[in-house]
Amino acid sequence: MIQLQGVSKVYRVGQVKVTALAEVSFEIVKGEFTVLAGPSGSGKTTLLRLLYRDEVPTEGEIRVAGFDVTGMRRSRIPHLRRAVGVVFQDAKLLPGRNVYDNVAFVLRVLGTPRREITPRVMQTLKAVGLSAKAQALPAQLSQGEQQRAALARALVKEPALLLADEPTGNLDEAMAEEILYLLSDIWNRGTTILLATHRATLADQLKRRTLVLNGGRLLKDED
Amino acid sequence: MLFFLIGEALRDLRRGGRVAVSAVLLITLSLTALGAFWVLSLNLGHALVQWRDRFRVVVYLREEPPAGQVEGLLKKIEGVGGIQRLRYVSKSQALQALRRQIGGQASVVAELPTNPLPASVEVTPAAPAMTPEGTRALIQRLSALAEVEEVQGGTAWVEWLAQLKGLLQGIGLALGAVLALAAILTATTATTLVLHARREEMEIMRLVGASEMVIRLPLLLQGLIQGFVGAAMAVGGLYLTYRLALPTLEPLLSFTLGLPRAAFFAPAEIALLLGGGGLLGALGGLMAKGERPA
Repeated sequence: MIQLQGVSKVYRVGQVKVTALAEVSFEIVKGEFTVLAGPSGSGKTTLLRLLYRDEVPTEGEIRVAGFDVTGMRRSRIPHLRRAVGVVFQDAKLLPGRNVYDNVAFVLRVLGTPRREITPRVMQTLKAVGLSAKAQALPAQLSQGEQQRAALARALVKEPALLLADEPTGNLDEAMAEEILYLLSDIWNRGTTILLATHRATLADQLKRRTLVLNGGRLLKDED
Repeated sequence: MLFFLIGEALRDLRRGGRVAVSAVLLITLSLTALGAFWVLSLNLGHALVQWRDRFRVVVYLREEPPAGQVEGLLKKIEGVGGIQRLRYVSKSQALQALRRQIGGQASVVAELPTNPLPASVEVTPAAPAMTPEGTRALIQRLSALAEVEEVQGGTAWVEWLAQLKGLLQGIGLALGAVLALAAILTATTATTLVLHARREEMEIMRLVGASEMVIRLPLLLQGLIQGFVGAAMAVGGLYLTYRLALPTLEPLLSFTLGLPRAAFFAPAEIALLLGGGGLLGALGGLMAKGERPA
């Protein structure tokens, strides 16, 4: 599902070069639940952004869901992103639209037939436990509910891969556990998941394959 | 998908607020100016065609020829070239025409001791001679004939009318172009504001894999709707003015230009104005600058 070979990412800030990732290589097969762990600034977010082609690597090769991300033409990016769901620490819900519309928005922009939209949105909201909040605006939701709505938005298009960038970062322990339980449930249904977190305890708790990044280098890859 | 895109465009229009309304009004103004000059020049054009068709050069004869020599004289006149057709008017026919023209005062004619009107030949120049130069040359050639006393006629005022029509078209186009430019810039500003307001949505759209066309199309549609509404308002306003001014305008046009009725745009011309409006708005939508993806 994901293959990285010697991937580096260097940002230039004026005359200064900042290495965000240095020669990172790993592979994640279809159906795996992998944790990407590391402290803040270790390169986790950069790595995820490279995977959905929000950034271009300085060196190395990346393949995601069968797409050659490294040499990808701009016009092909939407095709990659349709196969990948992304959630962030900040839920990034559209404030003027209710939960239903936030999730349905994805299907509408992707040209899904109208008759399919409502059943798929309601099914996804049910899966994340938000059926009762379909008409609520984001401001009327708790942070945990907002994160679940963001998960629903990422999942409604049925991606093969889910990238989660610190989805529990803004949540208390109880809510974080709820989200982790939900992610496990999603994984059990066959979605490949790469979860980035700075919480070491969370990685231990999940007992999944963990890639540890620090200073842009892959330090550990342990099951 | 189409419903979604139109829905988004309408949502964007509401977001555009006053700037979007300004863009619509500027497009209305520019097309009203352009349309008003266009209608004027359209009517002048009709008058020109009519007057060019009616234009005659009158050749006054020194003496009325005997009936048997009229045909020969006409052939001689025709021989100077540049003539489409000609008609002989005898002294008595000229007097009858005068009687008809003065109507109620026709008794004055009866008191004349003799018929003072000369016999004449009405000459319709051929199309190539319908220019000031062509007419002048024709008049010179006709004046050179021994039987001719005087030649009257000229296209100077018809040409003046043609120049006026060209001037009106020019002013209309220049004014329309300046206002159209302002309209495009305002539509661009309105769309740019919407782009800013839609930043989060566009980020989500790109993230979930929407194509650039789907992302940009609502902006184009927004401009198109603005332009179309502006153009429709301009055409509506012009038509209303036309209908209201018609009772006053028609007698004036009939008296000055000889036009039986004032013309408005044909359906094809209305479609052109509406299309033009849509194009102005769409250009504004296309020119809007927003954040581009990585």
